[in-house]
Amino acid sequence: MDAAIHTEDLTLSFGAEKALDGLTFDVNAGEVVALLGPNGAGKTTTVRLLNGLLDPDGGSSRVLGLDPATEGHKVRGRTGVMTEQSGLDERLTARENVVFTARMRGLSATAAGKHADELLERFGIADRANHRVQGFSTGQRKRVALARALLHDPEILFLDEPTAGLDPEATRDVLDLLANLAAEHGRTVLLCTHFLGEAGRLCQRMAVLHRGRLRAFGRPDDLAANIWRGVPVELDLGAPADERTLQALRAARGVIKVESTPTGARVDVEERAALPPLVASLVQMEVPVFGAVPRPPTVEEIYFAIQEGAE
Amino acid sequence: MTAPTTPGRTDAIRAIAAKDFTAVRRSKGVIIPMLIVPFLLLVVLPLGVGLAARNAHPPDVSNMVRSLPGGLATPILHLPPRERLVTLVDGYLLAPLFLIVPLMLAAVLAADAFAGEKERKTLEILLHQPVPDRDLFFAKLLSAFIPAVAISWIGFACFAVVVDVTAWPVTHHLLVPSKLWLVVIFWVAPAVATLGLGVMVRVSARATSTQEANQLGGAVILPLIFLAVGQSTGLLLVTLPVAVGIGAGVWLIALWLVARGARRFTRDRMSRTI
Repeated sequence: MDAAIHTEDLTLSFGAEKALDGLTFDVNAGEVVALLGPNGAGKTTTVRLLNGLLDPDGGSSRVLGLDPATEGHKVRGRTGVMTEQSGLDERLTARENVVFTARMRGLSATAAGKHADELLERFGIADRANHRVQGFSTGQRKRVALARALLHDPEILFLDEPTAGLDPEATRDVLDLLANLAAEHGRTVLLCTHFLGEAGRLCQRMAVLHRGRLRAFGRPDDLAANIWRGVPVELDLGAPADERTLQALRAARGVIKVESTPTGARVDVEERAALPPLVASLVQMEVPVFGAVPRPPTVEEIYFAIQEGAE
Repeated sequence: MTAPTTPGRTDAIRAIAAKDFTAVRRSKGVIIPMLIVPFLLLVVLPLGVGLAARNAHPPDVSNMVRSLPGGLATPILHLPPRERLVTLVDGYLLAPLFLIVPLMLAAVLAADAFAGEKERKTLEILLHQPVPDRDLFFAKLLSAFIPAVAISWIGFACFAVVVDVTAWPVTHHLLVPSKLWLVVIFWVAPAVATLGLGVMVRVSARATSTQEANQLGGAVILPLIFLAVGQSTGLLLVTLPVAVGIGAGVWLIALWLVARGARRFTRDRMSRTI
């Protein structure tokens, strides 16, 4: 698969402070990759470098086969960006904001207006299209910003904290929109966020940045496998496992670790195949088993494990 | 979905300038100060002078005129006493003061166009558009220059009407536009507006808000104050050749500042300040 984005040892400093330190990673065409990290980790700087806003101090990058440092203009023609601050001019209406960007991107006035209307309708903001952005909620602004980012049907979408400042309902709405966008047209998405839940829902691979350095990059399952041995399994026994049950679990074949939980026990087994005999042995002991579910670590658990390792 | 074509350079420049113009028109905090100063200088002041001149006993400015250099004093002293006030004030003294209008307008609009984008947090998304640095810079310049000069010229037209209507019963001839005024309007005023832009572009690169940019760039008005004081005290007489020379000097400085601003206006530099 062709890499839509490729960086090699990308480095940038702001004065004495290294904002990005030897970043090497790639994003395949049609893939959704989450760039995770706390504030100041280098997520926004990465987007600015990839879209040719900043010139790197060292290293290189290719976006759709182009060098953003020297062909930024061409790169920006094929990418769409949604910044953390929606970046809408509050003195203009939603429609005017979108039309303005469309005009900058080469659409005629008529086509820009038609296109803006279609997108605002699609993102459920048509009834507010001719209202000034000044009175808009954060969620409405995000929708307009998303419409603007998509108006030229970009091959790559850079989303910088798309749900920052949103309430849970608006977050769900925006995430639904993003999930649909990622799925359609095989669009490549680089999602910068420190909201791990949305990364877990949308991304295929995740890159964890810490103080400008890439600490981990890969599929969540692979990253988890590098951190933890075995497969964690939640056993629902209807009540915390008693000492006899815990001892039996520890003695079973393929079991690495056992912990009591309020509803039963959490067991790390070497592989999924160890699970059926384990459940059978509990049943034989007349321990009621209501459920036995392999539970892979969440993106959140993986992220914090990586960050703790980086500290 | 229709994919846009590659933007033509003029299309993008026109889009940015038109957007800035629309946004400024709707911003009371920008538009009101922009209109009050021209209104006071170009309407209220000449109206007061004209009405005073039409009074049965107009103020006698002969002593003041005699203290001015001969080149300015002699022709005014040859006029009937009633004509001296309007001729002195409307014909000569207001010319350097008028230049405050294009300078102030250009500075306010440039601060809004450059530093204002940072303040409103709209600069980053603008930089993410496929518009070359140079086009972005010139679009921003034009969005300040065109309204500044246009409003100055409209203000001057209003000024001419007010002066000539109020002074006509006294002078029985048109006072404005004179040759000096025409040079000031069409040669010096655009130069001064460009100077204001050049200074504000430089200042806005460092400022994080329009207020900060206006404060940092406020000193640009000082040379005009010196010019106006020099004109009214006779230290510097802005005659036609002097006005042409001043205009040429201002153009040189202004274009140097703008060219320097254009060289320094890069995405990388702008992105490091947001």
